[in-house]
Amino acid sequence: MATIKVTDLRKEFVTDTSTVVAIENVSFEVGGHEFVSVVGPSGCGKSTLLNILSGIESATRGTVDITEGDRQAKLGYVFQSARLLPWRSVIDNLLFVQSTRGPQVRARCERYLDMVQLAHTARQYPGQLSGGMQQRVGIARAFSIEPDLLLMDEPFSHLDAITARSLRRELHAMWQETRKTVLFVTHDVSEAVELSTRIIMLARGGRLVADLPVELPFPRDPASDAVALARADLLRRFESLDLLAT
Amino acid sequence: MQTNLRPRRPAAPPSPGGDERAARRRAERRARWLWRIAGYVFFVGLWQFTSSFLVADFIVPPPAVILTEMWDIIASGQVWVHFGATLRTIAIGFAIAFVLGSATGLLMGRSRWWEAFLSDWVMATLTTPGLIFALVTAMIFGLGPTGPIVAVVVTSFSYVTVNVVEGVKAVPRDLTDMARSFGRGPAQILRHVYLPFLAPYFFTATRYGFSIAWKIATLAEVIVGTAGIGFMMRQQFQQFSMRGFLAWVLLFFAFALFLERVVLQRRMRHVLRWRPEVAR
Ligand SMILES: Nc1ncnc2c1ncn2[C@@H]1O[C@H](COP(=O)(O)OP(=O)(O)OP(=O)(O)O)[C@@H](O)[C@H]1O
Ligand SMILES: [Mg+2]
Repeated sequence: MATIKVTDLRKEFVTDTSTVVAIENVSFEVGGHEFVSVVGPSGCGKSTLLNILSGIESATRGTVDITEGDRQAKLGYVFQSARLLPWRSVIDNLLFVQSTRGPQVRARCERYLDMVQLAHTARQYPGQLSGGMQQRVGIARAFSIEPDLLLMDEPFSHLDAITARSLRRELHAMWQETRKTVLFVTHDVSEAVELSTRIIMLARGGRLVADLPVELPFPRDPASDAVALARADLLRRFESLDLLAT
Repeated sequence: MQTNLRPRRPAAPPSPGGDERAARRRAERRARWLWRIAGYVFFVGLWQFTSSFLVADFIVPPPAVILTEMWDIIASGQVWVHFGATLRTIAIGFAIAFVLGSATGLLMGRSRWWEAFLSDWVMATLTTPGLIFALVTAMIFGLGPTGPIVAVVVTSFSYVTVNVVEGVKAVPRDLTDMARSFGRGPAQILRHVYLPFLAPYFFTATRYGFSIAWKIATLAEVIVGTAGIGFMMRQQFQQFSMRGFLAWVLLFFAFALFLERVVLQRRMRHVLRWRPEVAR
């Protein structure tokens, strides 16, 4: 269970011709066993936020603090695209990100490959897999290091509905079982309602416009009234957001 | 319940199986070999024709004569002595050039400042004719093996550098970022992300660099060599023995071809086996 503390975060991308503000004055705290979805329209800075949290990008202003007890938290990142090393076999891609070696580490990697139903591809190269299969390997890779904090950037958006649903269940079960912290970017409002304990909404220009708890018991039946209501409410906010931005 | 989703006609017959594909591949390989042999027949025929009907035998001796001469060179053991000498020059020179060039390339590809510092100088050595380096090193080092080695280093170094710089700039940020976000250190990223990505660039560098190295090594040997293929060419030239001269040239050609076709391409196919178009 990691703790995230983001204070007055701002990120500008300066190019030769213009300055783009991707994140504007964002502050939030996530403590412990939470599943936080970040939703917002395309280009509102969701990926940028995760990149800053993971240390890939540096912030223009503000601070980010991610801790696990009194040490640095271990991060697992599922990217918007798979980002596998094409010259390493599937299993070697998982082994590449492990900080220790050994048979039990290997067995763990194989277990997570099995979770995404790709155990049979362990010896294949990423180029021999379909796009959706590669994405699943990316998911298994992030899980396989058993991180304190999982950063997920629209991990299921490239997958077919059935695979996506089974992985969503899998993710939910793992989150409940291991009490990890999850920060989950999506543009799919139903997905956010089904999985999260909390939803953060960003608007164009990277402003944080809403930070809503989702207080519905698990498991959440997407067809139930309560879930449908929450989804409708969120969708309404989402749409008004788009109106505000134009 | 009525449904609109009626089953469609059965799918088309399965695509050609492995056997058929393999057979097609074999046929293609056979055809390629046929064309290659046809090429040899044509050019050797042209040569035979030229020497029989167009010019005197001592200017362009017929292929059979050159072949016997080549055989004599091989049988006498001379071939090993002089190929050995030239190979040593190339191996030492190119190894140094490869290490220096890769390091310089990494530096220039990673840092704008180093690129600004070095790029014009690398360009200068790239565009300078090899003959100039052969002559300059001849004047500095005189007779012996050192001059040719230095000439090889200087000329092939820039080929390696230029290719590596290009490769380093093309390394996908996506992948290095991924590795960093999973806590991989610089050494691991260099070894498992940069180097595998750069492999094709290293091969291109080796191919060009090596062919340049061959040329410059023989050239330098023609000028200052005391042994080696170039040295033998000079001897034959001074005796105006077209026969001996061509025999050495062709031996050289055969050897370079062998190195390229058999050694380098095999290695490359092995290292790049992960690529879909290679792993067939
Ligand atoms: N490296 C970069 N250089 C310049 N601008 C960038 C860069 N990365 C992102 N941006 C800009 O920052 C803004 C936010 O981008 P980001 O990728 O975070 O959006 P997103 O919310 O993830 O969108 P999507 O849902 O489409 O993935 C965009 O306007 C984008 O153009
Ligand atoms: Mg994004």
